[in-house]
Amino acid sequence: MDLSYFITSLTTIQPELMVSATLLVVLVFDLIFKQKKTFIPYIALAGLVATFFFLINQFGISQTAFITSAEKQYGIFSLDPFGTFFKFIIVVSSFLVILMSISSSEIKNVNSRSGEYYTLIFGMILGMMFLASANDLILIYISLELLSLSSYVLAGFLKKERRPSEAAMKYLLFGAISSAIMLFGMSLFYGLFATTNLNVIASLGSVSGMETITLTISTIFIFAGIGYKISSVPFHFWTPDVYEGAPIPITAYLSVASKSAGFALLVRFVRVGFTNTTLENGFWILLEGFDWQLFLTIIAIATMTIGNLIALWQDNLKRMLAYSSIAHAGYLIAALVAFNNESLLAILVYFVFYLLMNFGAFYVVMVVKNKHNTEDINDYDGFGTTSPFLAVVMSFFLFSLAGVPPFAGFIGKLYIFIALVDAKLLVLAIIALLNSTVSVYYYMRVLKHMFLTKKTDNSKTVEVDLFDKVVLLALAIPTLVLGLYFSGVVNLAQNSINILGF
Amino acid sequence: MPGSNLISLSLIILFLPLIGFITVLLFGKRFSKLYNLEIGILATNLILTIFVMFQKLMYFPEKIANRFTWINFGNVPFVGELKVELGIELTNVTVLMLFVVNLISFLVHVYSTKYMEGDIRFSRYYSYLGIFTFSMLGIVLADNFLMMYIFWELVGLSSYLLIGFWYEKDSAADAGKKAFLTNRIGDMGMWLGILILFTNYHTFTFDIIFEAINAGNIPFADNGWLTAAGILIFMGAIGKSAQFPLHVWLPDAMEGPTPVSALIHAATMVAAGVYMIVKVFAIFTADALLVIAVIGALTSFISATIALTQNDIKKVLAYSTVSQLGYMVMAVGVGAYHYAFFHLVTHAFFKALLFLGSGSVIYAMHHEQDMRKMGGLKKKMPITYYTFLIATLAISGVPFFSGFLSKDGILAGTYAFGSLTGHWLIPVLGFLVAGMTAFYMFRLVLMTFHGEPRDHHKYDHAHESPWAMTIPLITLAVLSFWITYTPNPVSSDAGWFLNKIENQSTVVPQDTRFEFMQTEDVPNEENHNNHTEQAVIHSEHYMHAMHEAHYPAMILSLVLASLGILFAFVVYYWNKVSADKMANAVPFLYKFSLNKWFFDEFYHSTFIRGTIETSKGLSVFDGKVIDGAVNGSATITRGFSKISGLFDQYVVDGLVNLTAFKIGFFGFIFKKTQTGRVQNYILLAILSLIVLFIIFLPFF
Repeated sequence: MDLSYFITSLTTIQPELMVSATLLVVLVFDLIFKQKKTFIPYIALAGLVATFFFLINQFGISQTAFITSAEKQYGIFSLDPFGTFFKFIIVVSSFLVILMSISSSEIKNVNSRSGEYYTLIFGMILGMMFLASANDLILIYISLELLSLSSYVLAGFLKKERRPSEAAMKYLLFGAISSAIMLFGMSLFYGLFATTNLNVIASLGSVSGMETITLTISTIFIFAGIGYKISSVPFHFWTPDVYEGAPIPITAYLSVASKSAGFALLVRFVRVGFTNTTLENGFWILLEGFDWQLFLTIIAIATMTIGNLIALWQDNLKRMLAYSSIAHAGYLIAALVAFNNESLLAILVYFVFYLLMNFGAFYVVMVVKNKHNTEDINDYDGFGTTSPFLAVVMSFFLFSLAGVPPFAGFIGKLYIFIALVDAKLLVLAIIALLNSTVSVYYYMRVLKHMFLTKKTDNSKTVEVDLFDKVVLLALAIPTLVLGLYFSGVVNLAQNSINILGF
Repeated sequence: MPGSNLISLSLIILFLPLIGFITVLLFGKRFSKLYNLEIGILATNLILTIFVMFQKLMYFPEKIANRFTWINFGNVPFVGELKVELGIELTNVTVLMLFVVNLISFLVHVYSTKYMEGDIRFSRYYSYLGIFTFSMLGIVLADNFLMMYIFWELVGLSSYLLIGFWYEKDSAADAGKKAFLTNRIGDMGMWLGILILFTNYHTFTFDIIFEAINAGNIPFADNGWLTAAGILIFMGAIGKSAQFPLHVWLPDAMEGPTPVSALIHAATMVAAGVYMIVKVFAIFTADALLVIAVIGALTSFISATIALTQNDIKKVLAYSTVSQLGYMVMAVGVGAYHYAFFHLVTHAFFKALLFLGSGSVIYAMHHEQDMRKMGGLKKKMPITYYTFLIATLAISGVPFFSGFLSKDGILAGTYAFGSLTGHWLIPVLGFLVAGMTAFYMFRLVLMTFHGEPRDHHKYDHAHESPWAMTIPLITLAVLSFWITYTPNPVSSDAGWFLNKIENQSTVVPQDTRFEFMQTEDVPNEENHNNHTEQAVIHSEHYMHAMHEAHYPAMILSLVLASLGILFAFVVYYWNKVSADKMANAVPFLYKFSLNKWFFDEFYHSTFIRGTIETSKGLSVFDGKVIDGAVNGSATITRGFSKISGLFDQYVVDGLVNLTAFKIGFFGFIFKKTQTGRVQNYILLAILSLIVLFIIFLPFF
């Protein structure tokens, strides 16, 4: 690879370079200014805005970069609308998580280490953005590790308390095992195909008769790493403990951004590495040798069912939202099972709505925690009368998460069901429908506590300050409006289903 | 300036009042001066509207439309392509209507600053005016049935809120309810009509529906359905434009504040029904048009006879409004939709002026509305008097005023219709109404402003209203002169206004049209569809008949109007004939008119009493028959119930509880896997991996 090609390739990673630059700036400022560090988050926000503009410039471009040897057609990095869409999700949720961190009392208490905190967040961003475009097993592994390592530290960022430290420890151990399994799977892959490039894997897979057993073992192994990132059953065990222990902004971040990067990886892995051809009507024909459809069906059903059923029992809201996010991962995997362009559309649309409603719900939990240091559902009693604003926006988010019209979550689910019915996967659609019925129970339980339980003497009042009000409204209004008018989101997603190589 | 900019401007015009509504509603209590924002918004709107109107009329003879997809599900399984589009369109009729709505709304806003001064819900009042203006503009701009229907309901809501604005008064609260419920009947029909069209064409957009019908694609392949759809959609207009038999709500709606009556129940909202049928004129078959014409003629006749004897100043104006709306509807029915819209505009100005003038009188007389207690106000309130007189001359159809032009056109249209189809009843009723209108309007003027004051106490305190109330009167008075619309005071045909109204083309199949609306060269089978797109008004027959009707109609209407005015003077000015004596001469007719043809009593004793009696009867039936049967069978049932109770308790409840328990139980079991120990987690993950291998590896 000659130098000039390397430099032209660098233009394809402008947003990533911008993120790296911000990371360095934050780090340097952290070192220079020892005392006052309140301005650091604003530098981070500025960096994200700049990144956002680079992303806008890139939207719609499909280009491969960093081709490692002359005979290859595709490099290790794919710039395509699909990846850029996920980078939008990542950047927007990073923006929100920094706003959350500014408001969070947990983070304010460790203000002296805030430089470190934001540096690590940018580490995560960098990892996720590369993950969304990685077209090569090596790059996948490296960016996954970059993401994981930063998030381990962030999960245990409140190191003086017991719960966060425990959470970080579990996260690290479980993560280490998963990525070891994944790495083993990748090495088997290399043994099979003598390449790490996904496109080449796909082209080899379609011609030669394959070692089915090795292929199956290695694919399931690699899925272990991906499944751990998107917290799908059976690699979800870390999720509740870590979500409960981590600072709330990080919990929200893990549940949206980190999950979206994991999904970008899963979709690209299946789409690029295992698809043979795409039919006229948008259906994909996958390679023989591994039954992705059956595999993902099992995983999807298990993930949504187990996530929903355990969520029924939770009294800690943060933990409940953790299980609910597992269930939502299940719906998203179910959408992928349809293996057509509509399922891709459904996933993209769903992520936009999921970002709004999930961040919103976590934000409300954080506002309450800031004031009363509690996440217990019983402490939400009578909020409907004592803190109507908070109760109303929370009901927006919960209705949306439950998929009740006219909120955005309903539209997200609707697109998933349309994709499933279109692919004639009626059984899976019915199971997903039943699951979302069950989920209504635990979301509405929160509303019952807020609105129907009479306020008692020890009911709590939460004054929401202006900053939080603005952010909450900025999340709640689109949750409703996008449920009524969603063509914009759908058109954006429609333009983003192009994955490089197809 | 490209047309798309006009679309964006009209979107701004549409949404500004909504912003005003939200802001004033939320913060009006805290900042008592905030209502000025609402007035500012309307002023901005008016300027923008005038700009849009001039641009459109001068430089864009073609229609400008912009649609966007509201909901696009793409290819939905089992249903097919599912897509709902919304959009707005600007035609000349649209921009003229925009101007009318914004101008009158602005004037009413200014007027209300004084009229409503000191009201405890002052800013609430302004926020309601804001939502009304928003909804009305929505109807005007809509290019599809769905959006029109949504805003249709919204104006219904804002009308309800404003009629019942003084809800402490029972009569106001009741009138609000009455208006809302009566309108529901019409709206239900309208929605059914819209659904007939949507089921067949999978779209709400006017143009696409028109094109489909034009291409010979009839709903359910039956002309009867097309007629039915037309009549059902017209039902919406029957409700909203207070046509017989649903006209009863409008006179009661006068319980609302008088500026509201001027804006909503005289000039704009009640005209929405006429606007709508002008807009969708293309889909009415001959049968539907005949229904429309008859309903319109009956309405205008009935309410004109009622207006003759009313003593409440606002009631007279209310019935006169109903009567004039009937005129417009009749005009659409006979195909003279140009004049229907022309009359809509002229009527909007002079009727708003009449209501605002009556408001000025009521304000001066300390909320006295009975004309028998007024009189001689001419000297006290000169501006109010002269502007009111101008409006009265206009509505009575006196030359040099706007009403003459539009009424003359309508009467010529009915005359031509009568001569072409033989339905002479319609022109006869139309001419009778013209005479009656002149009579009762001059009766009103003479009783209120001339003669001796009858209530000296109130008369002494009366004075001219402040400028915030008189300026709107003067503005509207200027617009009631002929010169606004055409240079020729006796014929509007050459005026700019009529020439700007687009020719509507009817799209229904040839054999369902009136003969005079059929295309001249009856096409043969092959090019059946090519010639249908021809403007109705260009039908040679019709033009000829209109032309012939012009002079007879004009002379006849002038004679009748002069007779009406003369008679009013004889009775109420020169006192040659006593009104009481006349009433005693025909006591039955007098009572019939005074009691509004007993419509309310009739509805009360049939529909309302009927509903109540039926429910009473059902309750008696329930008590005697059903209960008896129940009691008789109770013994038997008790025996069964014991058995089924046991079954319920052990089997059904058991199953339900079992399901709930199972779900809970599984949750509990799964929860057990969450031990909190990371070594257990890893073990479980590895075990599940092995299970997956067992499933997927071929040799297991």
